[in-house]
Amino acid sequence: MIIDQKKIDEAIEIIKGHGGHGIQKCVQCGACSAVCPGVKAGFPLLCRALIRELLNGHLEENIENSSSWGCQACNRCTEVCPQGVRPQEVVFAFRRYQALELAFSTSSVTSQMNLYETGHAVFSDPKEARRKVGLPEETPTSAFNEEAQKEIRTLMDNSPMGELGLF
Amino acid sequence: MEQIGLYLGCNIPLKAPDIEQSFRKIFPPLGVQPVDLEGAGCCPAWGTAPSFDLNTWCAISSRNITIAEDKNLDIMTGCNSCFGVLSEAKHFMGNAATRKVVNGSLAKINREFKGTSDIYHVAHVLHKKIGVAKIKENLKFSLAGLKIAVQTGCHTLWPSDVYKVKEENSYYPTILKDLCEVTGATVPHYSRLEGCCGMGGMRSTDAEKSLKLFKEKLLSIKEETDADMIVTTCSSCFLQFDMSQPILKERGEIDFEPIPTFYYTQLLALAMGFEPQQVASISQIDRRPIIAEIQSEKRRIKEGM
Ligand code: SF4
Ligand code: SF4
Repeated sequence: MIIDQKKIDEAIEIIKGHGGHGIQKCVQCGACSAVCPGVKAGFPLLCRALIRELLNGHLEENIENSSSWGCQACNRCTEVCPQGVRPQEVVFAFRRYQALELAFSTSSVTSQMNLYETGHAVFSDPKEARRKVGLPEETPTSAFNEEAQKEIRTLMDNSPMGELGLF
Repeated sequence: MEQIGLYLGCNIPLKAPDIEQSFRKIFPPLGVQPVDLEGAGCCPAWGTAPSFDLNTWCAISSRNITIAEDKNLDIMTGCNSCFGVLSEAKHFMGNAATRKVVNGSLAKINREFKGTSDIYHVAHVLHKKIGVAKIKENLKFSLAGLKIAVQTGCHTLWPSDVYKVKEENSYYPTILKDLCEVTGATVPHYSRLEGCCGMGGMRSTDAEKSLKLFKEKLLSIKEETDADMIVTTCSSCFLQFDMSQPILKERGEIDFEPIPTFYYTQLLALAMGFEPQQVASISQIDRRPIIAEIQSEKRRIKEGM
């Protein structure tokens, strides 16, 4: 295998820039993979295997891989890692790299739009259900609060998400 | 009475308001007054800002947290994902550089994160602040003889270094077990106790993989405990257990009836005598028989006993 140091450095820089600060501390022991429900369910490119790919500089090569989206953010990996890598942060850093390149399933666009419009990623009209259980029809949340929605929109507009044209 | 900010999230107020109502019913008699955090929004969910940009995640979480800070209140949430997302954001905001950038964004909406509010899960408030003794005094029905399988859910357990309240051993959690046992029920151990239910990102990414993981956990519960019900402190786990057991049953992948599932405060509200219609009426699995059993006359706890 030809080692392209420049490519490796770039990959590490991107992952660290997205919050995967501990990636270089990994010793490939595999403790994280052993407790990972994602690996167990059949998403191979998480934890040790993903970190190995990234440390070899293989970022673009894996951009379409959906494993990172199967991560539960459960942090079992972070808890057991003897090196303080915080593998979940690496997985999410890779996911952010994918997301900002628009490499994610279209189904997730709805959540971004809901969040932008109502302040809730999951939104459905709750009035009837709430009335039936004896609660006021409107939630005290952003769903029925225009000022709150405006604040959330401002935060999203002024973020890298705002440049993706999702909402 | 002690006050605490009630952070609702999305699923509970919009899809499972009976769980919200159960919070509102049980806490005041137990000496804690939940206070609404007006205008709070999504935590933000793992699949949204946390999947795109760390600082945007921190900004949206911090906005929610500042609503409680402005009221000088700590935060309590019943959603495990919200608990995890808010706790981790608060942890990241401990970093001076992150805090500076994020507070710069928050300044555009006239807010500033100060870090003065702590974040608790509903189960933590019940277990650590109120305590099982006080819960016991308020029970109207005894669950003696009933068997409960517990499901704590991932995001109150790991990573333990970002949480205000920790289990002694996060791979062998006991808080929910204690909370269930105080009702008189028995809570047998099962081998997949700490296992993931498969909800969350996994379910939306690949439903079949999620169901495979879920089935493994469910079979461990059924075969090792034969529980009368499953009780969880995670609203996402609740949805998975309630929605996916009927799917497995219909496909012929399980040969037993779906096990009725409750969010913990629903069970407690029933044991405290509140109306099932208000606190436990929204589910796929028919819970009426087990609710009738829980609130049956023979289980009523006599005054002074
Ligand atoms: S547990 Fe830590 S050191 Fe071991 S493979 Fe995973 S990330 Fe690397
Ligand atoms: S956080 Fe993601 S990568 Fe880590 S153990 Fe959980 S599912 Fe696996």
